[in-house]
Amino acid sequence: MDAVEKANLERQKRWAKDQKVGEGAYAVVYRGREFATGRKVAIKKIKVGQFKDGLDMSAIREVKYLRELRHQNVIELLDVFSSKTNLNLVLEFLDSDLEMIIKDRSLVFLPADIKSWMAMTFRGLEFCHRNFILHRDLKPNNLLVASDGHLKIADFGLARDFADPGYKMTCQVITRWYRPPELLFGSRYYGSAVDIWSVGTIFAELMLRIPYLPGESDMDQLKTIFRALGTPTEEDWPGHTKLPDYIPVGQFPKTPLRDLFTAASADALNLLNKCLIYEPRKRISAKEALFHPYFTALPYPTHPSKLPKCTTHLSARALEEVDGNVEMNSTGPGVKANNSRLKRKLSSPDEDSKARLIARRLDFTKQTPHS
Amino acid sequence: MANRAKVGGWLQGKTVRKGGVSSTNHTRPSTPQIQSTSSTVFGGGVKDASGRTSEYFSMDDQCPVCKSDRYLNPKLRLLVSSCYHKMCESCIDRLFTLGPAPCPICNKVLRKLAFTPQTFEDLGVEKEVAIRRRIAKEFNKRRDDFPDLRSYNDYLEEVEDITFNLIYEIDIAKTEARINAYRAENAALIELNVQREEAYAQALKEHEEAERREREMRAMELRREEEEEREEREKGRREIIDKLETSDKNAAKVVAKSRANALKRSSARSASTTVLQSNAKLLRSRAAQSTAIPDAPHVPLQDDWYAYEDKYDMRTGGYHDFMSEAVRKDREGIMRGGGYRVEEAWERALRSAVAALDLPPLSGLDPPAFSIDAEGDIVMASA
Repeated sequence: MDAVEKANLERQKRWAKDQKVGEGAYAVVYRGREFATGRKVAIKKIKVGQFKDGLDMSAIREVKYLRELRHQNVIELLDVFSSKTNLNLVLEFLDSDLEMIIKDRSLVFLPADIKSWMAMTFRGLEFCHRNFILHRDLKPNNLLVASDGHLKIADFGLARDFADPGYKMTCQVITRWYRPPELLFGSRYYGSAVDIWSVGTIFAELMLRIPYLPGESDMDQLKTIFRALGTPTEEDWPGHTKLPDYIPVGQFPKTPLRDLFTAASADALNLLNKCLIYEPRKRISAKEALFHPYFTALPYPTHPSKLPKCTTHLSARALEEVDGNVEMNSTGPGVKANNSRLKRKLSSPDEDSKARLIARRLDFTKQTPHS
Repeated sequence: MANRAKVGGWLQGKTVRKGGVSSTNHTRPSTPQIQSTSSTVFGGGVKDASGRTSEYFSMDDQCPVCKSDRYLNPKLRLLVSSCYHKMCESCIDRLFTLGPAPCPICNKVLRKLAFTPQTFEDLGVEKEVAIRRRIAKEFNKRRDDFPDLRSYNDYLEEVEDITFNLIYEIDIAKTEARINAYRAENAALIELNVQREEAYAQALKEHEEAERREREMRAMELRREEEEEREEREKGRREIIDKLETSDKNAAKVVAKSRANALKRSSARSASTTVLQSNAKLLRSRAAQSTAIPDAPHVPLQDDWYAYEDKYDMRTGGYHDFMSEAVRKDREGIMRGGGYRVEEAWERALRSAVAALDLPPLSGLDPPAFSIDAEGDIVMASA
């Protein structure tokens, strides 16, 4: 046994795996604790053996960026160790996520609660952006909430560093409902503005309690966005017609946000508006957003310990997180193909029945002229 | 006191009724549009809570001055003078257009603009209500303004006394002097109580507004849910038909299975709606939640992570390097359109250049942060 293996074993001994709380295609999540202190942790076991080309991309990304980021609004990566052929990430344990809280109909949000969540989200995001890291998968599901109410950005499986003009970036990131129009138009050079759009849609979702822009496909997503915010003109967004995947999707008029967000304050709508500006370079930055009058105006943001909390949690959340990872594996073409294969396999019985149906119908039509 | 309590309703203008309680059958239950023949607009009168005056109207109306009645003049409108005598609009126009003149009934000098519409059938009531309103405006002390119940009762007694005197015109001059003395004595308190009253009315209005909004929201939610339910039912029906068409299973079994599914869904939904109904209560309880931990004002940035901002300055004109070269070469503006900012690239390069410049060198014995073990696994050194 060499020194590295010994170090790894020591590391492994620090953590106890308790019970499985969820499983996805690329990882299993366990609840665990630290032997020495009894502190609760989540252990994400990544199945390395399954992947032909080595470690899964998102695992590498997660380790790479979480190692660098330490902030009260970003999930903490406590340790990494390997066991047999698996890679284990030891993460901070967090009870619930914002999606569960939004969906829990028994909870009531005060405007100050939304303000508090938004401030924490922007703080975490600002820290990522200050370190030149794009998250690229912000959605309520990935904003975890600790038992003391602090919100933490999690799931850096799609994150990457930015501001390098030599490299194209993929546009197949961010869950569709939270994806900005420049990515839907296939832009390969983008910046921190993509995350801001996601935060804007999350902000709207917090106010509405339902997803704000739920498109059914990528095309439909553009249509949904334009229906809500109006089709951008060349003046609104110079150069968008030149983007690689640009397709005109029809003209929709601008409707004021006030029509939908009837109860929101003027400051809140102003900030939302600035997060959802079409021209990415004009979109508000995370830092500017933190200095927006919305946050300084009354009511003060709710103290984290007083924010509404989910009553049911644990296993459900961890499962969802893993599912989220699996579903959003569309980082590059390779992973994407993998994903679609997986989907097809899942729906194959259905397709079989459909094929049978067609066959029968054909038979039927054939038989009728005979009889 | 009891008397005062009884007129409380009138003071707030709640018992205003249209149409008199005249015994004749000619009285119509509702007032037709008031038709005025005069060019003067007569204001005043006893107003109800919403600030409108409901005019008294009867088919038996007759002007006591010119004896014209509703038969002779269908547009007859009787108005009340400040000495509480009725007369019709044409008489008022005739007598008072040229300036103040004596009342044809009591000889008190009247002005045209002091005539008001009639609200109550009995002019005695009309007069009492007007006087009580005037008194209530100034005699607005509350129970909490007095040290004990006795002094409060004495005060109410005095108010009642003054009101009685004014109504039955006993010692008018002396009573007016009493009112003036009271007004001078309590000017500040009167003002304060007026403000309190206004604040209370405002709060009431806001509360009503909030309740209305809540109701509206609940109704909207309900409509949305109904819509969803309908869609789901429709979907379920279609599914059954599709299944019946495609599968070889027993038809009855397929139907029963989807029925059970639908039932499960609807019960889940009804559970969620009951939750919704208690939302209003929850909201109120949350608003009243303990303020043990006060909400702190917003602090934009709460970490002290040092980004070396003071170590470099960006050149205002930009830089001529390969990064901006790529942007310049981008004639179509694809980078620009996608939101790429070359300034960020420069900033990153600059920061990387200056980062950790003044850190002391490592002692040399520390292990590297990462190492790779035999299986190719990454192992991290302890932080």
